Amino acid sequence: MLATLVTAVVHGLRGELIRVEVDVAPGLPICHIVGLPDAALSEARERVRSAIRNSGFEYPLSRITVNLAPADRRKHGAAYDLAIAVGILVASGQVRASTGGWALLGELSLSGDVRAVPGVLPMVATLARAGYRRVAVPAENVDEARLVAGLEASPVEGLDDAARLVAGPRGRRAGTATRRAGISVSGGAVAAESPDLTAVGGSVDLADIQGQAHARWALEVALAGGHNLLLIGSPGAGKTLLARAIPGLLPPLAPDEALEQTVIRSVAGRLKAEQGLISERPFRAPHHTISYAAMVGGGPHLSPGEVTLAHGGVLFLDELAEFDRDVLDALRQPLEDGTVEISRAHGSIRYPARVQLVAAMNPCRCGWAGDQQTMCRCPHGEPERYVRRVSGPLVDRLDLRVEMPRVPPTELVGERTAEASTAVAARIADARALARARNSGRPNAHLPGPAGVRACRLGPAERRLATELATRAGMTARGVHRVLRVARTIADLGSREAVTEADLLAAAGFRDPAATPSLAA
Amino acid sequence: MEGHGAGTSTDGERDAWISLASAPGVGDRIFWALIAEHGGAKAAIRAVASGVGLTLPEVRIPTRTKDALAAVSRDPRRAHRRLEELDVWVVTPLDESYPDRLRILDPPPPVLYGWGAQGVLSADRAVAVVGTRRPTLEGRALTARICTRLVGVGVVVVSGLAIGIDGAAHAATMAAEGRTVAVVGGGHAHPGPRAHRQLLERMLRTGGAVVTEHAPDILPTRGTFPRRNRIISALGDATIVVEAPARSGALITARHALEQGRLVLAAPGRPGDVHTGGCLALLRETPARPLVGLDELVVDLGYDGDGRASRDAEGAAAHLSLEGALAMLGPVERAVARRLAQGPCGPDALVAATGLTAPVVSGAVTLLLLRGWIQAMGPAYLPSGPLLGADGR
Repeated sequence: MLATLVTAVVHGLRGELIRVEVDVAPGLPICHIVGLPDAALSEARERVRSAIRNSGFEYPLSRITVNLAPADRRKHGAAYDLAIAVGILVASGQVRASTGGWALLGELSLSGDVRAVPGVLPMVATLARAGYRRVAVPAENVDEARLVAGLEASPVEGLDDAARLVAGPRGRRAGTATRRAGISVSGGAVAAESPDLTAVGGSVDLADIQGQAHARWALEVALAGGHNLLLIGSPGAGKTLLARAIPGLLPPLAPDEALEQTVIRSVAGRLKAEQGLISERPFRAPHHTISYAAMVGGGPHLSPGEVTLAHGGVLFLDELAEFDRDVLDALRQPLEDGTVEISRAHGSIRYPARVQLVAAMNPCRCGWAGDQQTMCRCPHGEPERYVRRVSGPLVDRLDLRVEMPRVPPTELVGERTAEASTAVAARIADARALARARNSGRPNAHLPGPAGVRACRLGPAERRLATELATRAGMTARGVHRVLRVARTIADLGSREAVTEADLLAAAGFRDPAATPSLAA
Repeated sequence: MEGHGAGTSTDGERDAWISLASAPGVGDRIFWALIAEHGGAKAAIRAVASGVGLTLPEVRIPTRTKDALAAVSRDPRRAHRRLEELDVWVVTPLDESYPDRLRILDPPPPVLYGWGAQGVLSADRAVAVVGTRRPTLEGRALTARICTRLVGVGVVVVSGLAIGIDGAAHAATMAAEGRTVAVVGGGHAHPGPRAHRQLLERMLRTGGAVVTEHAPDILPTRGTFPRRNRIISALGDATIVVEAPARSGALITARHALEQGRLVLAAPGRPGDVHTGGCLALLRETPARPLVGLDELVVDLGYDGDGRASRDAEGAAAHLSLEGALAMLGPVERAVARRLAQGPCGPDALVAATGLTAPVVSGAVTLLLLRGWIQAMGPAYLPSGPLLGADGR
């Protein structure tokens, strides 16, 4: 007897419809899965057999053939388990399918429990577009599935639940089958959420950061305008601490961005249970030993990398100079286009990757070049080389460079209270809203040269000053545009319609990222 | 080339002198030994060409140097062609124009090669300003202040074109429109660190000179730098060590100066501070004198010939020019400039000192940078131009 069910697979950030056909025919008891399955999928037959038996059903002693159509598309993952198992039940006549096609998503455990799978949101969205109205999803994924309008997502906790749903109220045996209770050895339930290692632990409030007035302001400007920021400073200057304040300063995601971010997290399998739409902007801080594939995406299933996970938010690279040159080079495309394309033999995928880069590094290998208390131990010329190594691939994409000295001890133990994150975050949100309204949704940092000049609305005096700045400082065209973009953001922070002379001067006060640091002269 | 004219016998001797000194490996020791043995450079080259004359009673010549000497004897004009190619002038102790200051060396460099104005080596007033390759910001600022003041009393500043205090000294001298001399550790085909190529060209344009005792194609090595330090100290009437840790080439310069009977002044630092450990050691172990202030410096150098009254007037004028300069600024820039006139500091310190906000300070700093009153250095800003006028008090 033949049974046909529907499920979906994720490709990039989009789902694709997969039809699961199960045929149970007389013959030697054997189970074939055809249709380009990968290892995890081939192992489904073992999981399915145990799940069926442990859910109170019978595993048919017949020849079982499972076909996944379209047959030419490579399939991976364990999200088909549930559809295969229910297909076998239907094909062997243990469950009679009611009218109305059910789409099924979920991985099975040997006990018949249904486990969460990644990518439920895009898969359900695909099913909805294809006209399916009812979908069974793992209970842990139901919040995510319900973000999709126009279809009814039913949570299932076990194979028996799914069988009952498919059979409908008049189902025969499905009603009586129950899972065997599993015996838990470890006692308590395993914590569902594993700690997210790449997210910096615990956010920091700006009020807790002493000194560094200039760097704080630079961070405010960078976040308000979406400018890529490079922090250079000796160990202990507070670079990482400052970066850890970023999550508390970012404005929440707009609704369309939120959905996109939720899809990305869903595909990456990083959406926690009972977490609906993601509202906070991502802040990703991968370690400098990160591989190329982990940064831009890739691996056997072309999964999204850190740049995609940070889409719409901030990618923080601590110890920038210690990253592999290849990894840094790979950041060019995302920083330029806002997308990243991964091409492999079996296909290519384009992921969104519009990130704001915040990077931190030491001024030299030993870390003390330019420090006033500790002597640099690097050989002569080494500090310049060290900085040039990273500035090469990234310099065109950096708008701001801030050199952070160590905070003097008097200030560390001082009583002076700094401005809190909430006040700064409010200014950043206002400035971003202004910029978005003016630049048709883009932050200032993404304005191309001429558009940036127009956005500044320079008066004659400002134009003169800009010219003088450019000629006296020997700026390149890129440098001029950079200063204008930053000036535009500074004006936005002050809610000024046009860029003033003071804004221009303040913007020019930032070091040019392209200039090598003048530690020696 | 200067003094290149009629083929008198002394001119022939001078040319031979230059050829002989151009052989790689021939330092002043071997050179003077050859001259003493053969009675002159021409005779020495003839002797080498005939295959004898390389066995000296006191000095053993390495085989490689012997080969180089043989090559010179085969083509004595080669060295002269190379000098013309690089447009390098030479001066030897045979010449009238050989700087008297170098004649006190025993032995003096047989040939001095140079670019730029030769006369600057014999200026009335010349002072060597030296220090570490890794100075603190305060060290740089102090160097700039010292050089600005020295230019004010008509001094030519001599230094070594190295990264660090040397470079700061040359740059500050030129910023104050003074002339400056660099003594480099290699030949003119490899003049000083690449990072200072622009500085070098500016020195030549502003009436300074770049000199060395090495033939153009000699590479600077570990050994050549301490040797050239004796020329730096000799070319100055005094040597000022601005900042030197316990191990520093500047200390070698200072010791040379003391051996040459020149005055040595060292800027003292706080005991225990590694950056000035060498200066303190100089002050404790040698007759070097402490540098306590710019006015006192001028007195110690003996350049206050016009008497005390005029010196006070000069000091007052310096203060006046600082106040006058500050008066040209807007209130915000003035506050920032006043803080920077006291010494180098970063933007955070400026925010703390002036009570202004970071954007305002950033704007003020831009204006001061544009005017050339400050310069950016690592995470901080250094006073420059008019802000160096006062003693920072």
